This record gives sequence, structure tokens and C-alpha cells, in this order.
Amino acid sequence: MKHVLKIFSLLLVISALWIGLLQASILPQSHTWLLPIYFIVSLGCYGLLMVGVGLMRFPTCPQEALLLQQDIAEAKGFLKQSGVDVGCK
Amino acid sequence: MELADRAVGFLLSLISLSIFTYYTFWVIILPFVESDNFIHNYFLPQEYAILIPVCAGVVLLCFLCMFIGFVMLKFKKKKA
Repeated sequence: MKHVLKIFSLLLVISALWIGLLQASILPQSHTWLLPIYFIVSLGCYGLLMVGVGLMRFPTCPQEALLLQQDIAEAKGFLKQSGVDVGCK
Repeated sequence: MELADRAVGFLLSLISLSIFTYYTFWVIILPFVESDNFIHNYFLPQEYAILIPVCAGVVLLCFLCMFIGFVMLKFKKKKA
């Protein structure tokens, strides 16, 4: 529950700021009306950017993959020797 | 394999950056430019700046609801 309360209070603060900005007329009014949509779109864009960057920097570790394959072959041979039926592929 | 991953990641980040700059220009910078500047030819009218994200959000919501309903139906049929 506490995390939800934190998120709600954050949303409340942001909407209060937005309404205050509307009333005080620091920026032109038409600008202030478009601000929430702009922030939502930029948040979606930021998420997509993080996904793309994470995909680009994903490490594949080729040596560990090779060692893993060797381990699997060794385990299969050992188990087949002991009589266990290793049916997978 | 990892080249395909890197290409997809690069494409995604490029798309997101281009959408971000286009939208920033559209919403924030364009209202401060005079009406008869040539740059206005490259941007749609300002009403579309609200319509397109709202439509995309509604489509996304519908798609999510349909997907959840579909998975729930399939799970219920498999259990019975």
C-alpha cells in the first residue's frame, strides 16, 4: 500500500503545480494546457529509448556459452552412463 | 545474433529520439515562431498534436484489454 500512496501523492503534487501554473499565468495559457500530454509522450519516449539502449548494450558472453555447452555434453554423457534416460534432444 | 539485437536496439532508440524532437518542436517551439515562416509547412496543424497521442493511447488501451481478455479465455478453456 505504501508504494501506491507515494505514487498518488506525487501525482497530486504534479497536478497541483499544473493548476497553479494555469492560474498564475506565468507561461501563455495555450502552452500550459498542452504540458501534461507533452510530459506523457516524453515519458513514453524515454522508456523506449532505455529499451533500445539496453538492447544495444546487452552482453552475450561467448566464452561462457561455450563452457556451458561443454558442461551440458559432459553431464549428458555421465548420466547416460549411469543409466538415467536423458530424453531431451 | 547479437548484430540483429544491436540493429533493433539502434532502430528503437532512433525512432524514440526522432519522435521526441519532432514533438518538442511541435508543442513548445512552434507557437513562438511567426505564422508565415516556412517551417510551418513541415508540421501538421496544432490540433493533431493532441489528437495523435490521445488516439494512440486509446488504441494501446484497447489492445491491452483485448489481449488480457483473450489470454483469460484461453486459460479458462484449457482448465475446463
